[in-house]
Amino acid sequence: MTYPEALQELVEEFQAVDDKRERLEMLFELADEVIELPADNWSEHTRVRGCQSEAHVSVVLDDGRIQFLSAADARMVQGLMGILTIALDGLTPAQAVLISPAFAEEMGLLNTLTPSRSNGFRNMYDKVMNEIRQSMEG
Amino acid sequence: MIGLNLRDQFPILQRKVNGYPLVYLDNAATTQKPQVVLDAMNDYYSKSNANVHRAVHTLAGEATEGYESCRAKLKQRFNASKVIITSGTTEAINLVAHAWGRANLNKGDAVVLTEMEHHSDIVPWQMLAEERGVELRYVPVTPHFTLDMDAFEHALEGAALVCVVHTSNVLGVRNPLEDIIRLSHQAGAKVLIDAAQGVPHATIDFEAFGADFMAFSAHKMCGPTGIGALLVESSTFETMQPFMGGGDMIETVTTEGSTYQTNEHKFEAGTPRIAEAIGWTAALEWMESFDLDAEHDRLIAIASWVAQSLRDLGMQVYGRHEADDAAVVSFLHPTINSEDIAHLLDARGFAVRTGHHCAQPLLTRLGISGTVRASFYVYNTREEAEGFVAEIGEIVEKFA
Repeated sequence: MTYPEALQELVEEFQAVDDKRERLEMLFELADEVIELPADNWSEHTRVRGCQSEAHVSVVLDDGRIQFLSAADARMVQGLMGILTIALDGLTPAQAVLISPAFAEEMGLLNTLTPSRSNGFRNMYDKVMNEIRQSMEG
Repeated sequence: MIGLNLRDQFPILQRKVNGYPLVYLDNAATTQKPQVVLDAMNDYYSKSNANVHRAVHTLAGEATEGYESCRAKLKQRFNASKVIITSGTTEAINLVAHAWGRANLNKGDAVVLTEMEHHSDIVPWQMLAEERGVELRYVPVTPHFTLDMDAFEHALEGAALVCVVHTSNVLGVRNPLEDIIRLSHQAGAKVLIDAAQGVPHATIDFEAFGADFMAFSAHKMCGPTGIGALLVESSTFETMQPFMGGGDMIETVTTEGSTYQTNEHKFEAGTPRIAEAIGWTAALEWMESFDLDAEHDRLIAIASWVAQSLRDLGMQVYGRHEADDAAVVSFLHPTINSEDIAHLLDARGFAVRTGHHCAQPLLTRLGISGTVRASFYVYNTREEAEGFVAEIGEIVEKFA
């Protein structure tokens, strides 16, 4: 699987680290990449369902380019949001929908990413991609 | 000491997780299986696999004997005369709601539940309440993690059934069941005990206990998943109507109608869980190889030490860890997210549970949405507990 350059670099960085704890700590640091969705803007529309933690996402288009805003209470979810921020920020919707969610598995962060599994990350990814697709239709 | 000796009998405890020895502390969710259980199930499929109760051939006889030996073992261990084999605690409670509840409860009857119940002992009653207009009354949990017994006595007035959890899967708190059963019967109510977390930690004499129903699962006491039991008091058993229809539960079937078995088979429609029953028998026999009471004392001492150590590290601990409680330690850190704690622990081989533990009303009462839960069983050692506390200490130091 290949990804946009910034995401590909991240995948390779994570793959170079054997220890899962170290990978988690790297992920936690990526929480700093999140463009914060202010709590005042949280709603049922922004909520990620099936997440054990409180998680909200929003996609806005600025001159045809994606800006991904998000918020969560778990550092791990914030880190995954940070990765999505790096992956999506500045892409066009047509470029963005080509990104597979498999990167989280390839980075050694989640064990499985089957669509049928109640998986907060998968739900977040699906929600973001649905919003991007809707923006293309709109 | 026994924790160390027992460990060799559990193949899974030899494995590593993320490069570290597995420290399995999710026993309130399910326990691991000793080699004798794995062997018994493998032997059955290798040598005796057949359907039960019907054919006359040798394999069918062996399968039937194996399946029924589980019932016999349960009757002996729990001193119960009626043992219905189910898929687990959840099905056992649903069976009471369908087979007894629908035959005996009507509009205006009251069922007493508690806020401490697992969803499996709430949802079936909510479904019945919606269908039949049955009133549900919930006994609150106090700030000391116990049932409000004054509220309980008040709720009993005119109640037909009391459903109460033996031991909380979140708090480890064992409820005052002897008082609950006595008071319920004095008020004319039947009593259902959800003993899923109770039977792994204590041997219960069902007849002496005096409850009318008791539900539990094999997999929380080193047996297989997918099988459990409902113990029923004899006269109450006679008032139950069939729940599921199909093979094994009938006496005769004609196009005009059917008649039913009168024994436990009446509630065991379809091909039962034969290999699982044989595995459970092996687990029950295996549990007789050590002193469960002594093990319980050892485990609650470990849990109590872990709870205090976690408090010393700044955790809020939910539970009291008294002598009869289960070795379950639920906790939260004021600033580190519980999911993050669980992922960091997993990276070092520690398996714990996070979330609402299927007990959302209890967590709502406690004002929280979830906890981290470490739960100990007979193969866990003091050394594992010390490693766990040290790991938590490292996490707090680094991430708080």
